Amino acid sequence: MNDQTPSRTLPAGFGRAFVLTLREALVGSADELGDLDRRAGDGDFGTNVRTAMKHLDRNLEADEPSRYREWLTALYMAWLGVGGTSGPLFGMFFRDLAKAGEEAGTAAPTIAQFTDALAAGQATVQRYGEAKVGDKTMIDSLDPAVTALRAALEADAETTAVEALFAAEDAAVAGATATAQTIARRGRASYVGDASQGVIDPGSAAMALVISSARAGADGSGVANIGWIA
Amino acid sequence: MRRSIVNDPEDLVPEALEGLVLSHPLLLALEAEHRVVTRRHRATDKVGLVSGGGSGHEPLHAGFVGTGMLDVAVAGAVFASPTALQVLAATKAADAGRGVVQIVKNYTGDVLNFRIAGEISGDDAIETEIVLVDDDLATDTGDADGPGRRGTAATVIVEKLCGAAAEAGASLAEVAAIGRRAASRARTMSLALSAGTHPGDAEPQFALGDDEVELGVGIHGERGRGRVPFRDADGLTELLLEPLREELELHRGDQVLAIVNGLGGTYPLELNLVARSLHHHLADAGVAIERSLVGSYVTSLDMHGISITLMPLDDEQSRLWDAPVRTPALTW
Repeated sequence: MNDQTPSRTLPAGFGRAFVLTLREALVGSADELGDLDRRAGDGDFGTNVRTAMKHLDRNLEADEPSRYREWLTALYMAWLGVGGTSGPLFGMFFRDLAKAGEEAGTAAPTIAQFTDALAAGQATVQRYGEAKVGDKTMIDSLDPAVTALRAALEADAETTAVEALFAAEDAAVAGATATAQTIARRGRASYVGDASQGVIDPGSAAMALVISSARAGADGSGVANIGWIA
Repeated sequence: MRRSIVNDPEDLVPEALEGLVLSHPLLLALEAEHRVVTRRHRATDKVGLVSGGGSGHEPLHAGFVGTGMLDVAVAGAVFASPTALQVLAATKAADAGRGVVQIVKNYTGDVLNFRIAGEISGDDAIETEIVLVDDDLATDTGDADGPGRRGTAATVIVEKLCGAAAEAGASLAEVAAIGRRAASRARTMSLALSAGTHPGDAEPQFALGDDEVELGVGIHGERGRGRVPFRDADGLTELLLEPLREELELHRGDQVLAIVNGLGGTYPLELNLVARSLHHHLADAGVAIERSLVGSYVTSLDMHGISITLMPLDDEQSRLWDAPVRTPALTW
């Protein structure tokens, strides 16, 4: 693949668009995510999402980010100030996404750099959280998204960054909705066992919103797909 | 109905930290944003020592900040880990250029947040080592995939020995090794006659019958291994001592460090009865208590209960234990 072709770069304001779209999506679905967590978890995820976004607003005001890396740093620091297990794990995931901006300087990262960063973030979350695919965690939407993104970029040199991110979004949403069919083995929902059957894992849903927001930040629409969470 | 001496329960931890620091102006300073307590005069040219965890276990951890023990303590909400960002601030505050040892009780949230803070501290070229404290014998299931034993009162021993070694100029690796050795040799057993009550709650975390004792209880109101019939102080001491003796394989001629610890709602007369009984039992077995602490050091809100911690003691550990210490909760 050739990352330097215009169709494979991410737009100049990608960091800002990605983070603000995600903020909107998480605030807009915090009630639903909290409800999922009450049905199959310890019930604190909605509060944690709101706290993280409150921290994000404070960081954005204090730091006035301009580069991609600065936007993602405000996001990861916001999550690291949140309790539970999801806060630190999302924090470390976004920290790896921020690193994708190291080589990019003032520009947005290429889709290849962004894809590598998603994969690095997945590895970090799995190193700390010890979850595998199928354990009913955020990995269940992240892993298929990374796979779909790589496959789309490698299958056809003409595939654009936006097209590849659409493929990743579809895979992430499918992965998240499929968690309703599984019983938790790691993370918050593992404490309730069979009661998690039939309920989408809120961590996987939030992760799907991350991928959806990346797509919406790249295609310029600025709107993530949140209607499927219930 | 249990009443508590609180203002807004949300403000309990920051207000308590403020009170502690105001009461020890020569020893402590407060970094309020991250709920971090440091020494009033930061140490230089030594390995830094940071610990922390959920609140509700006072005087642990902030009560052990001072010369000869911790450099920094960080407090989470009651029974909840401090966030990674808080631990990061605490770890940076503990650094004096020779690396930082993080002393962490073995709970999933604490371990996760301290590990993350250690990794991010690397961005600032701060070297860190984690010493995990996992002394609670009641949670020794032998399951390699499980969460492992919980960390309880042996934290005081680890903080004291590491603190003395760091003060004497030991390296990062040496301080960590001393901590790990102590953690690997110390074991604790606990029991409760009644559970603690969260500040602002009316009811305790679990209820026990008048004739019941919860054996192997944790310091967060976790239920124990099981319930046994109530008995007198000598009998309760024996309940805790027997599994410890077996696990530590104590023999005639051995020397130990003992902590008789109150869990928050136990009065000193009761603790002295347990200490007396422990001395007699071990003396009969030819085991000498070379050093001991009797008091409430690692508590669980107002739980009425006790724990006994034993660690076989060698000469180096005795020297480190005897080294001067000046903190709000431990001074000699």
